[in-house]
Amino acid sequence: MVEAAQRDPSRFAELYEHNFERVYAYIARRVSNREEAQDLTAEVFHQALANLSQFEWRGVPFVAWLLRIAGHALADHWKKSSRDPVVAGDTIELGVDHEVERCAILNDLVDSLPPDQRLVIVRRFVDQRSIREIAHELQRSEGAVKQLQFRAMQALRAQMGDSRG
Amino acid sequence: MANHALYEQLDTAIDQLLDGQTPHVHRDLTDLMQLAGNLRTMPSADFRQHLRSDLEDHALFIAAGRTYRRDRTNSRVLQMPRREAAEFISPTRKRWETSGHNAESALADDTLFRALPATYPVHRTNLLASFLLHTMALALLVTSGAWFVTKKIELTKTDNLSADLSPYVLTVAPKASGGGGGGGDRDKLDAPQGRLPRQAREQFNPPAMVLRNNNPKLPMEPTVIAPPVNIATNLPNLGDPYSRVPLGPPSNGTGSGGGIGTGYGSGVGSGRGPGVGPGFGGGIGGGIYRVGGGVSAPHILYAPDPSYSEEARKAKYQGTVVLWTVIGSDGRPRDIKIARSLGMGLDEKAIEALKLWKFEPALKDGRPVSVQINVEVNFRLY
Repeated sequence: MVEAAQRDPSRFAELYEHNFERVYAYIARRVSNREEAQDLTAEVFHQALANLSQFEWRGVPFVAWLLRIAGHALADHWKKSSRDPVVAGDTIELGVDHEVERCAILNDLVDSLPPDQRLVIVRRFVDQRSIREIAHELQRSEGAVKQLQFRAMQALRAQMGDSRG
Repeated sequence: MANHALYEQLDTAIDQLLDGQTPHVHRDLTDLMQLAGNLRTMPSADFRQHLRSDLEDHALFIAAGRTYRRDRTNSRVLQMPRREAAEFISPTRKRWETSGHNAESALADDTLFRALPATYPVHRTNLLASFLLHTMALALLVTSGAWFVTKKIELTKTDNLSADLSPYVLTVAPKASGGGGGGGDRDKLDAPQGRLPRQAREQFNPPAMVLRNNNPKLPMEPTVIAPPVNIATNLPNLGDPYSRVPLGPPSNGTGSGGGIGTGYGSGVGSGRGPGVGPGFGGGIGGGIYRVGGGVSAPHILYAPDPSYSEEARKAKYQGTVVLWTVIGSDGRPRDIKIARSLGMGLDEKAIEALKLWKFEPALKDGRPVSVQINVEVNFRLY
């Protein structure tokens, strides 16, 4: 897949889809808000695409290379924002950050929820709407929306357990 | 716990989590809250698709050999739409490639600043060269005026000359001044020392220590015809300041003519005329010498150190006071004035000290004479 993208950059989309969740989760766990996480994720993939020709297969998965770029992007970000870096670019532990894997799986699982539950989760956590606003949008009672929220999270927990087991 | 209560508690805890607080929940909800913590940073719904579109645009740029620039002001990339970029690039490349040119080099010189990076790459060397050329041209324009017009402004420092409104004091000549005056009414006693009458241009009434007419019809102030002269005496009565008799019974002197002294005329002293001192014809006779030109300098015989003023001592103030003084033929300083002040009470201390000093008087032709000198009194703290 990597070699194909090196030959034809338009094939990079496949690499992107395959690694987006893990790169995003890796960054999101290390920055304070969603906007920074999204900006840095975009930066990482653009850098990866621009320097894809320099990637050499050395037995390390492609995502390790992406996370290395992410580590450098985070270091630059912290340097610019004058904050102490939590993780330096050279000390990324690849494949052992289970929380990153967990977040990546969780983000993926949200898409597999039933549409009404998925909408409630997105509105609640991404758009940060109140239950009342969501109820108004869905034309349902607040109690019903709270129930949808609870069941959606129960479903995610169950699927997370399945994916772990 | 009832389901309804769990819904409520979960929702309240999520609210707290989104507000940045740490919620405390029932243990049944602990797992769910961990999930909620992870969901909080979930990417927005359209971010993933936007980024994919941007990356596909980027891939197109790479395939076309273009430099891609990402707009960091937005989390997603703002560039020319992919379809538009493809349509724009293709005809240009095709045109140049079919004409046998290198498309990259041809496109590079179309523009330097192009808003759409899909069209022309920016060559940094061109930008740098342009910047340098413009800077040099601007510098040349600014400095060229100096080649033709050179204006030199010379500032001359002038001391602030202030008008001295104090009475003119006759300057001391290197030799004895001319003029003089004298008088007396043929008394048997010499006139004692006393202050000079007012110096004036005209004289209506000669000075007299002993008034012979106590009821004049037109009383006039006695004067001598002389320029203003600073002869300091503290004596209240008129008299001859140069008299050898410091104290004595009132007398107009042994001279004649109506003045005071041993001379002749309506003046004061041993000369002749309405002036003061030896000589004749009015004005000041005698006078003060300066060192040099046959006049030796006075030598210090006794010079006690000045005391420090308390104010200057506290301020650790040091310096030199210059005093203008006349060392009389008796070796005593008189007519002391401050030539350079130091302040803080040190001027007064210097004058006090100088009054105690004794000199071996200056000599001219072997005779002691009065000379004017400047005395520097140093104040130093050790």
